[in-house]
Amino acid sequence: MQNIEAIGIGQNHYLILSAIIFSIGIMGVLFRKNIIMMLMSLELMLNAINLTFIAFGYFNGNLNGQIMVFFVMTLAAAEAAIGLAIAVMIYRKFNEVNIRYFEQMKG
Amino acid sequence: MSTFIISNLWFYVLALSLIFFAFKVVTSANPIHSALHLVLTMMGVAGLFFHLNAQFIAGVQVIVYAGAVMVLFVMVLMLFDLKHEFNAFAKGLVSGFLKLMSVALVVGYLVGVFLESGESKGVKASLTTSGDQTSTQLQVTRDLAQLLYTKYVLVFEVLGVLLLVVAIGAVAISRIQGGTHAKH
Amino acid sequence: MSHQLLLSLLLLAPVLGFFINGFNFSSTKAIAVGTLGTLCSFISFICSLGLVLKLGGLPEDQRRLTVEFFNWLQVADLKIGFSFIVDQISAVMILIITGIGTLIHLFSVGYMSHDLRPAKYFAYLNLFLFNMLLLVLSDNLLLMFVGWEGVGLCSYLLIGFWFSDPAKASAGMKAFITNRIGDVGFLIGMFILFFQFGTLNFVEILSRLPAVAELGWTGPITLSCLALFIGATGKSAQIPLYVWLPDAMAGPTPVSALIHAATMVTAGVYMIVRLSGLFVLAPNVMMLIAVVGAATALFAALIGLTQWDIKKVLAYSTVSQLGYMFLAVGVGAFGGAMFHLMTHAFFKALMFLGSGSVIHAMHEEQDIRKMGGLAKKLPMTHATFLVGWLAIIGFPFLSGFFSKDEILWSVYASPNGHPLLWFIGVCGAGCTAFYMTRLMALTFWGKSRVPKEIHPHESPLVMTFPLIILAFFALTIGWVGVPHILASVLPGHIPNVFEHWLEPVVPKLSFIGKSSLLEWALMGISVSVAGLCAWLAFDFYIVHKERPKSFVLKMGKLYQFVSHKFYVDEFYKQRILDPLIEGSTALWAYVDVNFIDRLTYFIADFTVSAGAGLKSIQNGQTQQYALYILLGLVTTITWILVG
Repeated sequence: MQNIEAIGIGQNHYLILSAIIFSIGIMGVLFRKNIIMMLMSLELMLNAINLTFIAFGYFNGNLNGQIMVFFVMTLAAAEAAIGLAIAVMIYRKFNEVNIRYFEQMKG
Repeated sequence: MSTFIISNLWFYVLALSLIFFAFKVVTSANPIHSALHLVLTMMGVAGLFFHLNAQFIAGVQVIVYAGAVMVLFVMVLMLFDLKHEFNAFAKGLVSGFLKLMSVALVVGYLVGVFLESGESKGVKASLTTSGDQTSTQLQVTRDLAQLLYTKYVLVFEVLGVLLLVVAIGAVAISRIQGGTHAKH
Repeated sequence: MSHQLLLSLLLLAPVLGFFINGFNFSSTKAIAVGTLGTLCSFISFICSLGLVLKLGGLPEDQRRLTVEFFNWLQVADLKIGFSFIVDQISAVMILIITGIGTLIHLFSVGYMSHDLRPAKYFAYLNLFLFNMLLLVLSDNLLLMFVGWEGVGLCSYLLIGFWFSDPAKASAGMKAFITNRIGDVGFLIGMFILFFQFGTLNFVEILSRLPAVAELGWTGPITLSCLALFIGATGKSAQIPLYVWLPDAMAGPTPVSALIHAATMVTAGVYMIVRLSGLFVLAPNVMMLIAVVGAATALFAALIGLTQWDIKKVLAYSTVSQLGYMFLAVGVGAFGGAMFHLMTHAFFKALMFLGSGSVIHAMHEEQDIRKMGGLAKKLPMTHATFLVGWLAIIGFPFLSGFFSKDEILWSVYASPNGHPLLWFIGVCGAGCTAFYMTRLMALTFWGKSRVPKEIHPHESPLVMTFPLIILAFFALTIGWVGVPHILASVLPGHIPNVFEHWLEPVVPKLSFIGKSSLLEWALMGISVSVAGLCAWLAFDFYIVHKERPKSFVLKMGKLYQFVSHKFYVDEFYKQRILDPLIEGSTALWAYVDVNFIDRLTYFIADFTVSAGAGLKSIQNGQTQQYALYILLGLVTTITWILVG
């Protein structure tokens, strides 16, 4: 798997792929009403970002991309933890996780 | 030639399955199904990482993301009673149209920018570039570690503090009033 | 000492006094603050003495000391410096202002010793001194206007000094507003002069004048002189803007002495004398000034015949005497007007301070019907007041005699004068003699009508000392201006020092073809008229006391008319003030409430409803917010890519 002479597969392929996955994640955030689903779509977006970073790192010949992915992954895990804790608290209090019941921040 | 075909094929298979699974994540009615599809997506991404000479990261992806974060998700999903949560999709024609349009536009822009930028780094830049580390298969981890603990050590430490804070914070958010022996 | 230093000290001493006393304005230590105020005023007096001596040491045609402190304004053609000029005219003025001012400060230390806020009083007095000095020493019209306004302000502050009494406060307002109306005239005059001559500096204006007088009423010089004269009527209480002066007696008596007898009210006369070269080129305006002056002199004297308040009598007397000064100016006797200004300052300040002493002794009672026989109880006050009385009625060889006679002679004999004006002046002099004698008789002579609970006693030395000094000058200052016909018959050839002093700066009045016999005759007529009226008053109020009542009964309605001051105040109120107030109220009700308030409310409502409309964007749905973010991103990228 080393020395991949990517005559056909170039940087653009990876970038386009990650753009597609990213936009699918956005659609998930916009269309799903369940809090957990929204968080999962967020994770999807972050994965696409990771792919972008690695691709850039690989095609520029250094490891900076991988370092960035390190950090993004850590942050994503932390954010997922807190987000889920909050979701549990919401469920505990309101017995609902559909965001159509949580529009009190209006006006 | 064959390596060419195989590596290209490998990429295309992974890519297409990735897109499919991602789509299923977003459109599944049952959240548990979405979670499982997300795990599959992450495995696919790990496969692509292998392709891109990021073996360590691929391993970390599988262990942390697919192994820990998704387990967390599934655990929380199990807590909820989600029978009536099926088909929890956003309604509204106009807003839905707007959403689709904007997402499509974003994708279109990105793709267009990439394609028009003119520099398709088709040929991988030389492995022996003067930039940061070169990477042979076994050296990736070592080089990664070297970068992490010298050039990016501050961010590393900050992340450590962040994780500490998150741990405390998660406990603080979800504790029951009054401690372990108090009533609910 | 250089004249710059003297001038700086002259101006700075009162300012310093104002600030120090002003910062301590709540102090009640009358003697301390009074001493400070008097000291500052005295320093100014010494400096003005020094300046005048310096001036005297210069040769006659170069008697002018100028100092420019800094360049105040320079805009296009207009250059105004903060600069001062000391010449013969301003020398006379600064001596009067600072000298009489110091004496009045001294008197006030005694008079205001029991007041609640003496520090404020002395601060205002010093401020007034500074502004008056600014007025007479400035070398351009704009700086003079600053002093003009400043003395108006101080007059308001001092008249309304006891402002907790609404009547006194409104008297202060009346003075200020009437002054302001005149000031509009002053401003217009300044504008026209600047437009015509391109400068506001006195020396420059006088050097750019045309050689021939203007005819008609529409020339620029005539119009500007007319406007300036309107300003002078406001400040110097002539018809039609004199109505503030009698009301101004609501202030403390030393204030009346300083401001409304000796200094502020003479500012109008000073201004016209300063610009005498300009005014002689507008003969129509000069005629108007003379007519107004004569009318005021007689008018005010008539009202003074009927007043019962001691200060009001003196107030109307001041208005009348100012009328004489304007009459003199109107016929071209600028020197005579200045001479009468000087003598009047002394004897009127003397009489005002004397009345202050009387009021103080009578425990604030001012009605002369309740006085009488005070000569025995207040000997010093009576003696000095007597001197003032003799001076004002024109008793021969006292100061008032010389100045008033010079005016009357000029009015008759000058090319711009007229016998009718002279006649009015003589009538006024007769009335003056009558009402002043009446005042003396009812206040000091005859039987005492003082109410039992009041025990009048003589004032302390701090109050009688200024009276003595002023009485001395009222007796003797006239001798600096002895007219030629008298000098020729008296032993020792006494020159007319005053006329000689002012000669280089005021236009000369020529009496060609008038015989000295005529002058003697006129002098004799005016002295005998005054003596006759004085004797008549003595008869009415001391000897045959029932005669005034029967006279009043005979006069009936006419007496009512005169004693109500010819109903001028009521006329002003009915014809001018009330329509103005009604008009303003209508404007408020129709324009302000209807249009402007409506517009404001409309704008406010519009903002609120717009806000409410925009508020609906924030509907609390998280996904909408995410959509907005995305839309923003799309818009930005579109902008960058397309633009």
